[in-house]
Amino acid sequence: MTPATPTGPTGPTGPVGPADARHYMSDYFRLERWEIPPADGAEGFSEFGGRMPVDGHHRGAGGGLRTGALLTNLDSVGGFLSGLSVLPRWIVTTSLMATVTRLDHLGPLRVHGRVLRRGRNSVVAGLHVVDEGRGDALVAASTGTFAVLDPGDMNVAFDRPAVVPMPGPTPDAPPPEEFFRIRPGVGATTRLELAEHLRNPWGMLHGGAVAVLVDVAACRAVAEARRADGGPDPAGAVESLAAADTVLHFLRPARVGPVEARCRVFGGPTDRALVRVAVHDVGADDRLVALGSVVVLAL
Amino acid sequence: MTVGGDPPPGHFLGDLGFRTELLGETGAVGRTRVTRFVTGADGGARAGVLATLVDVVGGLLGVRILAPDWMATADLTIQLVRPAVGPFVEARAELVRRGRTTMVIEAVIVNVLGDGTEVPDPGGGSAPVAWSTTTFAVLPGGNRTASQDLPFGLPPQLDISGTVLDRSVLDRLGMSVLDAAGGRVSLPVGPYVHNSIQGVQGGAMALLGDVAAAEALGAATGLGAASVVVTDLQVAYLTLGRVGPIVSRATVLDGGADGGGDVPDGPVPAAESAVVELVDSGAGDRLTTVINARGMAADAFGAPWAPASAGMPDGAPLPVAP
Repeated sequence: MTPATPTGPTGPTGPVGPADARHYMSDYFRLERWEIPPADGAEGFSEFGGRMPVDGHHRGAGGGLRTGALLTNLDSVGGFLSGLSVLPRWIVTTSLMATVTRLDHLGPLRVHGRVLRRGRNSVVAGLHVVDEGRGDALVAASTGTFAVLDPGDMNVAFDRPAVVPMPGPTPDAPPPEEFFRIRPGVGATTRLELAEHLRNPWGMLHGGAVAVLVDVAACRAVAEARRADGGPDPAGAVESLAAADTVLHFLRPARVGPVEARCRVFGGPTDRALVRVAVHDVGADDRLVALGSVVVLAL
Repeated sequence: MTVGGDPPPGHFLGDLGFRTELLGETGAVGRTRVTRFVTGADGGARAGVLATLVDVVGGLLGVRILAPDWMATADLTIQLVRPAVGPFVEARAELVRRGRTTMVIEAVIVNVLGDGTEVPDPGGGSAPVAWSTTTFAVLPGGNRTASQDLPFGLPPQLDISGTVLDRSVLDRLGMSVLDAAGGRVSLPVGPYVHNSIQGVQGGAMALLGDVAAAEALGAATGLGAASVVVTDLQVAYLTLGRVGPIVSRATVLDGGADGGGDVPDGPVPAAESAVVELVDSGAGDRLTTVINARGMAADAFGAPWAPASAGMPDGAPLPVAP
């Protein structure tokens, strides 16, 4: 997760200019966030709200927000609330687990997050997602684990309660594959070019970018597998595939690139397939930086 | 997970029966038998039983890798691809990363015969029936609270066996459904489910989540729990359940079955999901575990399959580990 602060180009508190890398992800997905402090006199940690539109270029095969994009926003909200719970230290995401039942969101989507456990070395956050356009239907749930660390030079001073308004729409915003510099690889592999705007303040690839890469790679791999079994060609098939439930373990930082997602399709019932995705930093001795799985649905 | 002097006689893990083996420095395999007493609506071993298998095998591997430190299961995921009908299921675990504070292990689970031969998938190929990951929190040896000596001198093979189940493992655990629609299921706490530090063993918690999700999803879909198979569990262990009973409560997500009211129908996935929380009712309803669970109609998952072990005596000895 980007160790986000509420300061930024659209934030109310910050001197940070538009070159601040920590906002690229949340700005791209137009994520609004707000802290919900404990009631007066109550003990405990702040909870957090988040809200995101479902812009046309972020919609997937199901018609709603693509799961990789949803995970990016869950990472941002969960990371923010977890970070605030351990100040003056901060956090980095170690795992995200999500179940996603509807892929046809009308939007906006609203997130509510809370700290489930704060330990000495880690924080566990629980997040629920409702679709405001469908009468607040509960459409996804996620659990994130965040490791506690020394923030180093990062500024973790905040105005409280923290609020980040929703960024406005960007004309001609690129689709995720273009924004995240994702390209098809050979066979069941998909590559991401580690562009500067995809790095967090520590210089490592943002976890949200990994989530989007894994989404795209898993769908491509299933399309390839279907083609090998006599199905439609990959370009046609992938348009009817959508990522749903996802597990992601962030193992090491990706700093060099290119970053490659290598997939193994385990199969499953007719309308879905489980895909194991291993993400490697090719330029850093090909080391494994993330491992996860995606349930890909045929729609 | 439990090794080294544990579990005691008459324990949940012993009744399930496991045979495990360390493979080199970073791998381990473990096997358990699929009987009618551990199966779900699809005729295969329940996801919660497979979670227990993975926890045991991963734990064994963790003890080997982390010594002299100790560990606790932090999260566990299991995702079924097809029914785990056996006659035995084998988890093949491998270390993914060992860090300063955590260790991640992945495992594939396959159907195997008694001689260890892999059972082909329905298409005649070779494919796992499930995939799993486990994260263990590393507990420095000096801070461990285990009540017995650590089994640093683990043998390469380890059997965990006890009395053979003569009824459903859910009955043996004493689980009782309090409210199906709310996913409220109760699990008593006692030595039968204790781990080495007198908390409820993580596999038993996952199994409780499995049952609670099936009840809630069965009620929400109108299928009933007996026709729902839980295919995916994402388990986050927050704190130990110690007092009991452990009681579950479930919230079912919107799967789109109602067509979304006055908006156009969209694609409707065949599966449904639920969030299951496990609280220690004897400890002020303390939240111990959160589980995201996905289930689907058993017939859509390829069931009912007759377990390949249907004709095997339930007390048949475990095969020798490969």
